[in-house]
Amino acid sequence: MSGREAGATNATRASRPYYVAVGNEEQVFEAAFRQGLSVVLKGPTGCGKTRFVEAMAYDLERPLVTVACHDDLTTADLVGRFLLRGGDTEWVDGPLTRAVREGAICYLDEVVEARQDTTVVLHPLADHRRQLPIERLGVTLDAAPGFCLVVSYNPGYQSVLKDLKDSTRQRMVAIEFGFPPADVEQKIVAHETGIDDNRAAELVRLGQAIRRLETAGLREVASTRVLVAAGRLIAEGLRPRDAARAAIAGPLTDDPTVTSELAAMIDTYLDDTAR
Amino acid sequence: MIARGPHPGRLRLLASALAGRALQVAAAEQGSPAWTDGGTVFVDADTPMRDQIEALSVQASLLAAGSLESDVVRRIHRRPAWVRRYLAIEGHRALSANEPLLPPQVRSLVDDHVAARVDSPDASLAVARSGKAIADPPRVFGTIRTRHLLASRRGDVAATARERDALRPRPADLDESEGDELGLDVFTSPGRGGALGRWLERMLESVRRLGGGSPGVESPTHRARAGAGGGQAALSTRAPGALEEGAIVSVGARYPEWDAHRRRYRPDWCTVREALPRPADVGSPPASDRHGLRRSLARLGTGLDTCHRQEQGDDIDLDAAIEARVQRIAGTTAGEAIYLDSMRRRRDLAVLVLLDVSGSVGEPGAIGDTVHDHQRAVAASLMVALHELGDRVALYAFQSRGRSAVQLVTVKRFDDGLDTAVMRRLGALAPGAYSRLGAAIRHGAFVLETRGGTSRRLLVVLSDGLAYDDGYELAYGAADARRALAETRRRGTACLGLSVGASTDADALRRVFGSAAHAAVPRPERLRQVIGPLFRAALRSAEVRRR
Repeated sequence: MSGREAGATNATRASRPYYVAVGNEEQVFEAAFRQGLSVVLKGPTGCGKTRFVEAMAYDLERPLVTVACHDDLTTADLVGRFLLRGGDTEWVDGPLTRAVREGAICYLDEVVEARQDTTVVLHPLADHRRQLPIERLGVTLDAAPGFCLVVSYNPGYQSVLKDLKDSTRQRMVAIEFGFPPADVEQKIVAHETGIDDNRAAELVRLGQAIRRLETAGLREVASTRVLVAAGRLIAEGLRPRDAARAAIAGPLTDDPTVTSELAAMIDTYLDDTAR
Repeated sequence: MIARGPHPGRLRLLASALAGRALQVAAAEQGSPAWTDGGTVFVDADTPMRDQIEALSVQASLLAAGSLESDVVRRIHRRPAWVRRYLAIEGHRALSANEPLLPPQVRSLVDDHVAARVDSPDASLAVARSGKAIADPPRVFGTIRTRHLLASRRGDVAATARERDALRPRPADLDESEGDELGLDVFTSPGRGGALGRWLERMLESVRRLGGGSPGVESPTHRARAGAGGGQAALSTRAPGALEEGAIVSVGARYPEWDAHRRRYRPDWCTVREALPRPADVGSPPASDRHGLRRSLARLGTGLDTCHRQEQGDDIDLDAAIEARVQRIAGTTAGEAIYLDSMRRRRDLAVLVLLDVSGSVGEPGAIGDTVHDHQRAVAASLMVALHELGDRVALYAFQSRGRSAVQLVTVKRFDDGLDTAVMRRLGALAPGAYSRLGAAIRHGAFVLETRGGTSRRLLVVLSDGLAYDDGYELAYGAADARRALAETRRRGTACLGLSVGASTDADALRRVFGSAAHAAVPRPERLRQVIGPLFRAALRSAEVRRR
């Protein structure tokens, strides 16, 4: 295996991955799954798209195949390729083919990153045909029952240049994600990190304040993911302000002025006294 | 915690977050209460950090809650008692509306009883104007300086203008080190010494840094094009002919023109000649933001290239596989690089830049320097950046005196190297005459399509968007230019219109460039932020047509 389709995992879990529904996204997903429709998840980075798919795969009792797309992902990376073993050629299924055969949920993370020609292979799979033609083998696979194609993308991310083709989009059901409301987010941070509710509330408040800065020179705002990361550092015994500097301010900006201003915000919102 | 804070400017992000818009923080006069003019919050830097944060939170929340909108402020203007009473109530309301965002220490400031009594600035104002007894606001609430708020609203326009002036690039910004010498000492020793020579040297050095090859050659990355010692090839092997410094280099090509009034073409209407710029005193060489541009453009216009003998890839490379098998049977160690991979490596882009040098660009633009200076700077940096990336690039300037005398001044042809002569020709360009934009576009597209030599082609038109010539008034000219661009795109050549520093409004630009990708940037330095997406959008729409 070439290993280029980094991130291909095939996991069935013992317990449900922690996901708190904010709206009707779970019902929409389950309905789409039962109807054999493909799903596109839209939302900013770190808001819980991947976690949502993991939870859904658990609920629906399907294996999950995740592919992290990058801009040199080729059709062969998804579908499979011939390799040489000794003197013979051997066909090796790609993650998409594996999912089609097994009836797994195939999750293509950040699908816009993939090359345009690659996404075309998804078309016959995403519409009513539910088929995967494998050119090199000369066969067309019918998707096994339970197969579901899920892609995610971040609309605000690369604007003009990276967008899903209309022909691809229109084959999908869209679910929009945003950052969860403060009380839900606090619950999530507390659950994911094991810090107490007050600390989690402080972190969430800081995160909500930073999210208002989108127009003030920050490229990306603090996602739930970075709040969780900060919380985990705190759970390890780091002082809250140091944890937030490392997990929130550092990832968000390289600009020294903005960093020091973020540090001032962190100092204002986080209480550094031990509890 | 009583800590004397550092300069309050450090609290800028906090203030912006609480106000929900970009806000500055500055030090107020010593001992004075906090206040804001709507764009900046002034807090007393000599008070403890804690007080500064509280004061700033109140002012920012007032802004966020719409408490300082001019219609309210006008009603309490010059009524200090009402200001105090209004602030005492509205301050709590604003803080309470912002409660989910407030830092923990500030939350204790909020008096929920007061806040619950009112639900809008108007309601607070009504209470303030009633006879009810109201306690004075806490000191950290600061004050409302109605005069400054109203003045800053009125002065929005003037302030923006001042800001623009402050941002205007000074000559020193264009070329930090040798700005003064440029006009005098240019020809002494082109290539090495002299201002132009040094400038050129600086421009070309990164080509060398890229790997020593001549531009147009792929720079090696972690993987070679062919695993087993593949050669590097230049995109074009055509030997560049030397340009003779004559006046007219072509006899003239005839092009039709779109008559918008009669809705038909006028066949063979315009005559376009390629010419060389007249030798003249060279002005200061244009500024160059090549690094920023190069980064934005680096991933553009690269084609997929099949690479042989890779360690991994989409398909088996039969030749390599058989060779490896033979070697193994013969008892030697066989390589494992037996796959074919397609990688986005090959530069496959030809760009022709058309530079408007008609009289209208000689006028001062929106921010001082002439539009010509700005456009020439952008043309130079685009040319250098694309050349360094190994794209084929040509630069022509155009002006016209009637339909039989449309001139395309050759600055750099596709096969010319990027040398002193090119820079001298670019420097010698002077605005004059008129612009018959349509004919220039048609000829530029012709040159690009016949001499570009790549499958992806991009025509960049740098113009202030004023197409005007004898018998070519603005509306007619705009229609013809739009038509010429549409023709070009229909042939699969991408088109991009750029206007730099011109005061032409967006509608006028749209009339000229139509649905082609176009943008107006106020200053050359801004270009790097938009150029990547613009190039991509232009190329993509052309690619769709080509298929």
